[in-house]
Amino acid sequence: MAEPRISLISDLTPPSLERTWLTAPHPTLPIVATCSSDKTVRVYSLTNFKLLSTITGGHKRSVRTCAWKPHVQGESVLATGSFDATVGIWRRWDSYRNNEAINGDEQDVTGSNADEDEEWRFAVLLDGHDSEVKSVSWSPSGMLLATCARDKSIWIWEDLDDGDNNFETVAVMQEHGGDVKCVAWHPVEECLASGGYDDTIRLWREDLDDWGQVACIKKHEGTVWFLNWEGPETMPASESSDLQNQWQEQRALSGPRLVSCSDDRTVRVWCRLPKETSQPGMSSSAATGIPSIIRPSGTDETWEEDALLPHAHELAIYAVAWSQKTGLIASVGADGRIVVYEERLVAPSPDSDAMETEPSTRPSLQTEWAILAVFDGAHGIYEMNHVAWANRADRGSEGAAEEILVTTADDGSVKVWSLQR
Amino acid sequence: MAEMQNSNPTILNVADLPTRSRSTVKSADYGNGIFAAVANPADFLSSDSEDDDLLEEPIDEQEIYDLIKTISDPEHPLSLGELAVVSLPDIFIKPTLPNVPESPLQTVTVLITPTITHCSLATVIGLGVRVRLEQSLPPRFRVDVRIKEGTHSTGDEVNKQLGDKERVAAALENGALMQVIAKMMETCQ
Repeated sequence: MAEPRISLISDLTPPSLERTWLTAPHPTLPIVATCSSDKTVRVYSLTNFKLLSTITGGHKRSVRTCAWKPHVQGESVLATGSFDATVGIWRRWDSYRNNEAINGDEQDVTGSNADEDEEWRFAVLLDGHDSEVKSVSWSPSGMLLATCARDKSIWIWEDLDDGDNNFETVAVMQEHGGDVKCVAWHPVEECLASGGYDDTIRLWREDLDDWGQVACIKKHEGTVWFLNWEGPETMPASESSDLQNQWQEQRALSGPRLVSCSDDRTVRVWCRLPKETSQPGMSSSAATGIPSIIRPSGTDETWEEDALLPHAHELAIYAVAWSQKTGLIASVGADGRIVVYEERLVAPSPDSDAMETEPSTRPSLQTEWAILAVFDGAHGIYEMNHVAWANRADRGSEGAAEEILVTTADDGSVKVWSLQR
Repeated sequence: MAEMQNSNPTILNVADLPTRSRSTVKSADYGNGIFAAVANPADFLSSDSEDDDLLEEPIDEQEIYDLIKTISDPEHPLSLGELAVVSLPDIFIKPTLPNVPESPLQTVTVLITPTITHCSLATVIGLGVRVRLEQSLPPRFRVDVRIKEGTHSTGDEVNKQLGDKERVAAALENGALMQVIAKMMETCQ
């Protein structure tokens, strides 16, 4: 078996000439949206890697973040968050589907750009944050939008879907002690994770109509820059399908895990302890810092560090992406390096006696993370701000099973990579 | 800034600040240095780009110092060099990725000594230094500006802000703050 290798497929062209912060792959179409310091969002085709349209005029400062609303029929809905403290909602009919550019047949799409731009309809501006918006995330159903900012708050908005673009503020959470850098919804449940400048990761759920913190993880020693959830269906690599089945049974109890990356140069994986096995001795206030007299203890959750991924970055790690398809994790940061990690099941050794270690609620089946591939200087001398997995679309249907990495950098460039195994 | 925080700072004489004394070095170079073997130095300079790369003058600590010593203090009509807020021995240049020898990335670390330990302008001064270096240096440099250990009561807090790329980026888009920074830079060439 050849050594796994990350190799460049293409740049997205033409790029922004200013720092690009983030690239969001569309949930169903082969397109991505990229957010730039030049106050615009560019939409590119993943079929021919060309610019399809540019969303301008909505924000007065850098566009820091964006996210596609899932489960929308016939239309694409994009939420954008900006340093101008506002969140924009944009709509566009899905004519890209019939557009020749998306099939890669048409080389020149730039001529039609002026017309395409107008097709993005500015729907509504969500005003509420006091300072720069850092991250936005749609809940798995698409009903809820979470936004966060330097004002230390997280807002949850409900999309009323009333045809009139009305959003209602559902909750404002202000427990974070500093900028909230990232928010990310659980892939299945209505559970929100957030991370920030106060070095913590917090988990939030609704209980009796009230959104509240159910866990606070204090283990990173620097700003938590990004969070991503494990897909509900991926599995660690193993020769043995028996082991994989056993692992799946265990995982079913605790649900998808969460991965975080930080200024402290670490990538960590977190796992919820199944409620049934939570230690009775553990005080619930330890998890949230809130005395259980105020919060019903039933909602508190215990999150444990599941893994510290192998050290691979020399500077701050700005983004981490957990493939929903393959279970691989990719990370990028200020050192300009792409790192891909793979989780492998460790065959239980017959000698190891469970009694040797302290009695624990940890699943008996262990995994280990290994570095699968590294690419240095992926954007030359520039820092990378974001990485995402997307479905490969440039070679027709046979590539449907393959995933690509999309990386975003300080010079404005966005690059598309394949992982050859 | 209504009231001065440190009304009587220690001031260094400009003539005593470290310099490279360029003039002497240059004249010596022309006589006996690398140009001596070239009939016409101008020809040598216009040769192909590979040679130009070799000729690129490496950026050293003195050059970093020269870039930031003339920044004005936001409080005094004096430069950061004169106030010894920045000083040559507190500037370091290191490879960013020592394990990747072919990487051109270099990290410039500048340690700042505020004039008094509770100076609330430390963040602004640090931001000014960071902005000055990011605008002057090629992008292969990673700029790391921090408060010298033990010289400020909330040094860790200031360092965290100065090291936060997103906050620095947002600050650059903040008109009021950039006016202050621009004023500090007026005294830089």
